[in-house]
Amino acid sequence: MKTIAFKTLGCRLNQYETDALASKFQNNAYKLVNFDEEADVYVINSCTVTHQSDHKSRNFINQANKRNKDSVLVVTGCMANNAKEELENKDEINYVLENDNKSALYSLVEAHFNGEVKHPSQLNNDLFAYGSTEKGFHTRSMIKIQDGCDNFCTFCIIPSVRGRAKSRPFEAILDNVRSVITNGAKEVVITGVNIGRYEYENYKFDDLIEAILNLDGDFRLRISSLEPDGFGDKFLGLLSHPKMTPHLHLCLQSGSDEVLLRMRRMYTIKTFKNTVEKVRVIRPDFNFTTDIIIGFPGESETDFTDSCDMIQNMEFGHVHTFKYSIRKGTRAERMADQIPEKLKTERSEVLRGIAEESKLKYRSQFVGKTQRVLVENINGNVAKGYGEHYIPVQFEAENIKTNTFYDILVTDINNEKDVVLIGKPA
Amino acid sequence: MNSHKVISLRNLTPSTYIIRLEKKDFTFKTGQYITLGFSGSIDRREYSIYSAEQDPYIEVLIKEVEDGLLSKKLKKCKPGDELDIDGAFGHFSLKTDEIKNKKFMFISTGTGISPIHSFIHTHPEMDYTLLHGIRHKEEAYEKESYDSNRYVLCTSGENTGDFNGRVTEYLLKNPVSPDTICYLCGNCHMIYEAYDILEKQGIKLGPIHTEVYF
Ligand SMILES: Cc1cc2nc3c(=O)[nH]c(=O)nc-3n(C[C@H](O)[C@H](O)[C@H](O)COP(=O)(O)OP(=O)(O)OC[C@H]3O[C@@H](n4cnc5c(N)ncnc54)[C@H](O)[C@@H]3O)c2cc1C
Repeated sequence: MKTIAFKTLGCRLNQYETDALASKFQNNAYKLVNFDEEADVYVINSCTVTHQSDHKSRNFINQANKRNKDSVLVVTGCMANNAKEELENKDEINYVLENDNKSALYSLVEAHFNGEVKHPSQLNNDLFAYGSTEKGFHTRSMIKIQDGCDNFCTFCIIPSVRGRAKSRPFEAILDNVRSVITNGAKEVVITGVNIGRYEYENYKFDDLIEAILNLDGDFRLRISSLEPDGFGDKFLGLLSHPKMTPHLHLCLQSGSDEVLLRMRRMYTIKTFKNTVEKVRVIRPDFNFTTDIIIGFPGESETDFTDSCDMIQNMEFGHVHTFKYSIRKGTRAERMADQIPEKLKTERSEVLRGIAEESKLKYRSQFVGKTQRVLVENINGNVAKGYGEHYIPVQFEAENIKTNTFYDILVTDINNEKDVVLIGKPA
Repeated sequence: MNSHKVISLRNLTPSTYIIRLEKKDFTFKTGQYITLGFSGSIDRREYSIYSAEQDPYIEVLIKEVEDGLLSKKLKKCKPGDELDIDGAFGHFSLKTDEIKNKKFMFISTGTGISPIHSFIHTHPEMDYTLLHGIRHKEEAYEKESYDSNRYVLCTSGENTGDFNGRVTEYLLKNPVSPDTICYLCGNCHMIYEAYDILEKQGIKLGPIHTEVYF
């Protein structure tokens, strides 16, 4: 039996694609092994959103090659698009597979072992031709609804590596969701690059979400990352649906309107606040998580303070902070007033401190309340999973099963590594 | 990405010019932009489409930027040269149901007038006022192509326009009625300031109504 190992960097969409690919290989008699073990095939599903992600991808390429020099090493994902030539010139890499052809990874590897050398350009380039994810790395079932982005934020490389926005046919998505629910999925996660811009024939994003929520079955729906532009009252109404989880990752990027304009983001601080307030009127404990870029060109002390204030005021449940890093070919690369690295690091530390406080404050309100936890990992009698608000919860009980809901009364909070809720069966 | 032949280039000022390109089967929504570059080159820049949806060609209005790479090179284009066009992109567009029955205020600076030119020439029946903010009068690009009763030239560098000062100063002195649909295009500072002024005057601005060039 051949062995295969995956390493995934970056976004949920990459995670979904890896899950689907890993399932496909296992359904075809491959054994999935950890990335730090020896394998016949190594797949690095890379990310290129920051310098750091490029750096990590390069590291994993070296590691895989060291572990088994005779392995088939495939690099796919956004770095494969963005640094194709560089990667193709590395002897240790057998195939550089761009995002468009990623879904055809299995046929590429199979051809390789059959002695055929296929050029990736000969492969199928269907962005949505991924199979099920049931043998992947996640308990939650991710569903890809669209790919690509047309927003062209000035800092972002994604449009040039993921391409123009394309939406998956409406019925195909519903079939996919029905099938994962029938196969036992308890949590469905919607993924894509800019999912709020979903548009297929006459169906918009809110129509799709409504249709999914109205499907039968004991499951809950999670929406991954959403741009804060352009969602209307219909979508906000759907957030109160019993199957919808009370969590949204809304990418703020900066707390300053001037910086948002230069980033070419399509919302203002006021509209962002309005959205959060509207939702929290209905559900005060709704979990908003976000991304913030620190040190975007021209970010003044006042702009930075505005970002800090926004984090405090919005009581985010989690903030993912990124130091701005220049991506070649983007507009922001050519902007004047690039911020020195040292200042970015200083600001980053300040903002992280505020974000940590905000997270602890937000999560503390759950002590004494019940969370419906979907168990993902079990170690002896200790189970870990996420509650409906997408906060990690840990509890002890006997005969626990993964991919099962447990109503857990939160009794404590552990702030050692991450902020984890501790509880017991209610 | 598609290659389009340059049909002509006309200079409006020593630094500003219009490139006309063959249209082929290119389609766009008025207000959108394209990215433009020389065929085969990796250097590409965004340019709003200046021409109207129905025009049999594509036009872009470009100002040469000091120390700029592409705006300088494009100025040397000759008829017959091939340029690569990608797009059309962007969400800076009119709402079909508003075009015929709403009042519009278009606020632009410099070459930010380009998508507005496209709006007005695609839908000449629109009820609009156009504010164009520039420094000197020669930057009033193709002024004669707008209805003079609807066009307000704001010159900040000299007293040669309809209003002597910036567009933001004009807006402060001439409040906009709250039932007006406003679109803003040009530099970030103007948009940021004008946005604030308009909001205080009771205008509800959708964020897609701004297009920031730099
Ligand atoms: C959506 C969109 C639409 C645009 N539409 C138009 C248009 O219709 N007409 C047009 O002329 N330009 C337009 N631009 C600006 C255009 O894309 C280029 O930025 C501009 O032509 C300069 O490119 P360059 O290669 O010559 O300069 P670069 O080599 O990119 O830049 C050189 C220096 O000039 C600065 N700079 C860049 N642009 C400007 C500017 N406009 N004014 C002053 N300084 C600047 C840069 O920060 C840099 O320091 C648009 C931009 C966007 C985002």
